[in-house]
Amino acid sequence: MTALAQASLDPGAVVNAVNAVWVLTVTFLIFFMHAGFAMLEAGQVRSKNVANQLTKNMLTWSVGVTVFFILGVTVSEVVAGLTGGPSFTLFSVFDASNAVADGSGWVNWLFGAVFAMTAATIVSGAVAGRMKLRAYVTYTITLAAVIYPVVLGFTWGEGFLYQLGFTDFAGGMIVHGMGGLAGLTAAYIVGPRLDRYNTDGSVNVIPGHSVSFAVLGTLILAFGWYGFNVGTAATPLAGDGAALGAFAGVGRVALTTTLGMAAGAMGAGLVALYRTGKVDTLYVANGMLAGLVGITSNTDIIVWPAALLIGGLAGAQLPIVFSFVEKRLKIDDVCAVFPVHGSAGVLGTLLVAVPGMTVSSATVDPVAQVTGVLVIGGWTVLATAGVFGVFKLLGEIRVSREHELEGLDISEHGVDTYPEFGKPETVADGGWVESNGVVRPDGGNPNDGGIKLVMGFIRPDKLSDVKQGLAEVGAPSITVTNVSGRGSQPAKTGQWRGEEYTVDLHQKVKVECVVADTPADEVAAAISDAAHTGEKGDGKVFILPVEGAHQIRTGKTGTDAV
Amino acid sequence: MSDIKLVMAYIRPDKLSDVKEGLAEVGAPSLTVTNVSGRGSQPAKTGQWRGEEYSVDLHQKVKVECVVADIPADEVAEAICAAAKTDEKGDGKVFVLPVDEAYQIRTGKTGPEAV
Repeated sequence: MTALAQASLDPGAVVNAVNAVWVLTVTFLIFFMHAGFAMLEAGQVRSKNVANQLTKNMLTWSVGVTVFFILGVTVSEVVAGLTGGPSFTLFSVFDASNAVADGSGWVNWLFGAVFAMTAATIVSGAVAGRMKLRAYVTYTITLAAVIYPVVLGFTWGEGFLYQLGFTDFAGGMIVHGMGGLAGLTAAYIVGPRLDRYNTDGSVNVIPGHSVSFAVLGTLILAFGWYGFNVGTAATPLAGDGAALGAFAGVGRVALTTTLGMAAGAMGAGLVALYRTGKVDTLYVANGMLAGLVGITSNTDIIVWPAALLIGGLAGAQLPIVFSFVEKRLKIDDVCAVFPVHGSAGVLGTLLVAVPGMTVSSATVDPVAQVTGVLVIGGWTVLATAGVFGVFKLLGEIRVSREHELEGLDISEHGVDTYPEFGKPETVADGGWVESNGVVRPDGGNPNDGGIKLVMGFIRPDKLSDVKQGLAEVGAPSITVTNVSGRGSQPAKTGQWRGEEYTVDLHQKVKVECVVADTPADEVAAAISDAAHTGEKGDGKVFILPVEGAHQIRTGKTGTDAV
Repeated sequence: MSDIKLVMAYIRPDKLSDVKEGLAEVGAPSLTVTNVSGRGSQPAKTGQWRGEEYSVDLHQKVKVECVVADIPADEVAEAICAAAKTDEKGDGKVFVLPVDEAYQIRTGKTGPEAV
């Protein structure tokens, strides 16, 4: 066996093969994180915007990776070369010699590309539900061509931040901090979703449509993250195969990644429990990712207790930072990308410089860490604000009010994500709580002493106004049904895999309200006033006689039961 | 005016099977059921999304519609009341509405015979 090996084994080929197999394996794991992002974001948006979110995720990869190949990788090499890094050749990525798996070619380009695309796709979660597709795709092009490559050149490309001693192992700041800050900036410039803040500035909570999807996406991301972190130890074997390369310390990366993730989930869950008395599912999920982000920049050099500490703090800051962004900054960050990727990434990058966090052989320069965070953060915010600022000036950043209310699935893609089900709209409109009895107008004998059923067919987005209007005229009790109907509103065109079909039944809401003491025509007028927009499709209101009424709990009958 | 009546009840979803049984016992097994949500005497609930609370004042209910001709509508309404009662706020209400005419689609029968 030994003789055979000596006779025919080329150690260099074995090393190259082992290293390439490992790098490609983790590259595919990191690619799979796009499935995680797609599910995580789809779960956190409303059902009317799911297809739009999924499309943005697919286009981020498709458009972004192409642009990163043609322009991005060269820009990063130029930026590195001009700021103290190695010399560069323009467009060397196009050279066919890169096909050889000698550790410097297209395999490594792809390994870098999946990191770049992770940064790019984070932004889509922050701007969900209101941004024009063209604005988002254009931003993706600039991110893949310039914004991320500049950060890459400064750091892993061995440009000036690398020369300063800035350390970021797998991209806690370079990828996640950058993506989170870009998302926050983009969400600020595009403005909040229409119904996110009430007129008095108070917050209106808009629940996403599926916690299941959000958690599935979280766990897919966590799975892919092992590729992200452990895979950054990219060369298992050193030059001639006589020794381990980056795998010498791979166990530490695997352990600290795991502990950071676990601590992040616990940290966010505990803070949520402290704040609301409940362990919020979505915070546990978001906290897992925040813990991973916190650990990503330092996972190769920290001691295991530091992994628990940094991950736990990254999770714990999440509910606090999310509330601050939402209530104080009034920025509508739909998928919480800033607290998950941005502030958690910054935190981990800075905390590693605290004495006692790392193994004794590692040296971290606090000044370099702070400089790195400021340079990467500053550049990302400025460049992102520049691109979206231009779109805002041109009036091309947001979809129209009508399109946003209808949902971006129909208006931007012609697709209905759940065409077979009615839309189970959760109406989180602040509700109405009867405080000091219902004001009943006196007026002798309304409805001729009878009971009337007032039945209104209205636009779904007018329900909240109608509820308010009914409460004001003293008829707060209602029943609401999701219906679809055909009236004067023109038919719409739906689309399934590019083929059109006609939709002449429009989503409406049926409101039923039975009244005895309150005059039925006042109730009907209140519904009409509240539901009026002046466009075709406002709906109709009917009044029907009711002969008898029973209240189930009390056994009361007749007008007393109403 | 015919003597056909529509008995329309809003009940708790978990009381549906009791109500179906009660209706069958008084001889009115045919019914239509719709998932609805509504606001009445039941206090508003609190929902939560990413640790933040919001108020839900529309509660899940089931609407039961039952058209009767030979059986007195009051008996049907009382059967629903008896079956759906829990004595908690949010039990719902039953209304009786007049129906002008009825047609059975398969047979072409009209009036009380169609019910």
